Amino acid sequence: MRVLPWIYLAVAFVFIYLPVGTLVLFSFQDGQLPVPPFNGPSLRWYVDVLGDTRLTAALVNSVLVALIASLIAVSLGFLAAYGLARHVMPGSALIRGLLIAPLTVSYLIVGLGLLIVLTQAGLGLSLMTAGIGHVVINLPLAFAIIYAAMGAQQQNAERAARDLGAKEAQVILLVTVPMLAPAIGAAFFLSMTFSWDEFIIAFLLTRFEVTLPVEIWSLLRSGLSPRLNAIGSLVFLVSIAVVLILELLIFRKRQQ
Amino acid sequence: MTAPVTLKALNHWFGTFQALKDIDLIIEAGEYVALLGPSGCGKTTLLSVLGGFIAPSQGSVMIGGRDMTRVASAKRPTTTMFQDYALFPHMSLRDNVGFGLRMAGMGRAERYRKAEAQLALVGLADAASKRPHELSGGQRQRVALARALAVGPDVLLLDEPLGALDLKLRRAMQDELKVIQRQVGTTFVHVTHDQEEAMAIADRIVVMNAGKIEDQGPPARVYRQPSSLFTADFMGEMNHIPAQVTRQGVETPFGVLPVPVAVQGPAILCLRPEAIGTNDAEITLGRARVRDVAFFGTHIRAHLVPDVAPDLVLIAHLPPGQMPSVDTMLSLSAGSDTISVFPKEP
Repeated sequence: MRVLPWIYLAVAFVFIYLPVGTLVLFSFQDGQLPVPPFNGPSLRWYVDVLGDTRLTAALVNSVLVALIASLIAVSLGFLAAYGLARHVMPGSALIRGLLIAPLTVSYLIVGLGLLIVLTQAGLGLSLMTAGIGHVVINLPLAFAIIYAAMGAQQQNAERAARDLGAKEAQVILLVTVPMLAPAIGAAFFLSMTFSWDEFIIAFLLTRFEVTLPVEIWSLLRSGLSPRLNAIGSLVFLVSIAVVLILELLIFRKRQQ
Repeated sequence: MTAPVTLKALNHWFGTFQALKDIDLIIEAGEYVALLGPSGCGKTTLLSVLGGFIAPSQGSVMIGGRDMTRVASAKRPTTTMFQDYALFPHMSLRDNVGFGLRMAGMGRAERYRKAEAQLALVGLADAASKRPHELSGGQRQRVALARALAVGPDVLLLDEPLGALDLKLRRAMQDELKVIQRQVGTTFVHVTHDQEEAMAIADRIVVMNAGKIEDQGPPARVYRQPSSLFTADFMGEMNHIPAQVTRQGVETPFGVLPVPVAVQGPAILCLRPEAIGTNDAEITLGRARVRDVAFFGTHIRAHLVPDVAPDLVLIAHLPPGQMPSVDTMLSLSAGSDTISVFPKEP
């Protein structure tokens, strides 16, 4: 039977997308509660959300934290990968392991640890401390992706560049980074989405200025509202956009 | 641009393994030298020492009269054409070839003009805007050559540059490399394990084995009068005939041969397959039975069993015109200048 696989596919996609679909649908609700029956559609909650300065400020904060933390995580991850792939040093297997290990630690533990260390160090909680937390969780990922993409092909091209008179910085900027652009881009956009969605660390490490997930959390405490659906839909839209950029720019190119 | 190279008393160890042993070599400016040897003989290590990728444990490297032993590859008047081409995949051919000039600080317009001239030299003038992945293996090869020559190196180092090409293309590229080398006049040092390639291309062949230079000289000399048994065997197929050198001459199963030799005692007499013929040359090898024959186009390869030494099988390359049938008897002879004698290795 050819029908069964299609049914399976449909059920699987309904399972995955029903919650998101419901969320988006009820963001257009014309009423006070995001529950059936559906009245609308109406854009009143989007108007409400985009007119809310606290929410738009949190949205801008989230974008800033995600951008800057991802840039730092990818830069550090690249340098670590380049160093470990190109130089022989004692204990490099151990160093690699230590770099990747934080992937296995839960965000809650990372967040608590950072909270203790940062307050001990006298650093006030802010967007910057949340950003530091995001660098900590995204660095292992960026390192692993970029390190896996480094191979003999770049190494030979680097050697050729040096032979033609390139200095070390020129080798990295003109040869290594462009050749690794797909991996570096993938690491950057994945870091962006993780940082954009991240709640626990941002919750523990921010105080007055917060990121969007933390703001949503504080709104949730006053009960369900189609406002939350509207915010959620916007967040989802941004994530989709990032994934699409990733797909179009990076993975499409790699297939060539 | 071109320059001579002098290597003095080079020794190099990788851990406890000695990759280069007492290498002394002088390469003239504008010479085409082939470093020839089996894998692991140290030829690539020697090239890396020349290119500045490996600092030798001992000894010195002089290029154009200046001591380059500890100078980094970027600062040497050498460039390397790598075995796997090592082109920059994200750059056009123009940018690939112009890379060295860009590093030297040349402006874009002039750099592109020069890069395009180099591409024209290797027959790729129309492809300047293409990327390396759009090219065939042979074309990538040429881009690598153009890129290495674009900076005007004194010495070009070629690391098994034709290894990845099929036989026909390899022969064509050999001719082309030689023509280009004559045109630019740069000193070329070419590493290969293919003795035919070395003979086809080089002014001088340097045969290496186990980290040492075994022999060096013009291709014809190295092939016809090798200075060691290793060279004799490595340069091409050889018949080994057991011999004993006494005051009378070289005693062999074919009688005492009047070959002047310096060695004494047990020896091996070497004879190339194409040196054995059925004409009346100076040295007669007696009658021999044809065991089998095969047609090779340019010659007929035959296994021959001499009457005087039934344990011995001689390989001979006979003219392609007359195919002897199996079990016929031929009377063999060889020219005295084709024979070399080496002491028997213990």
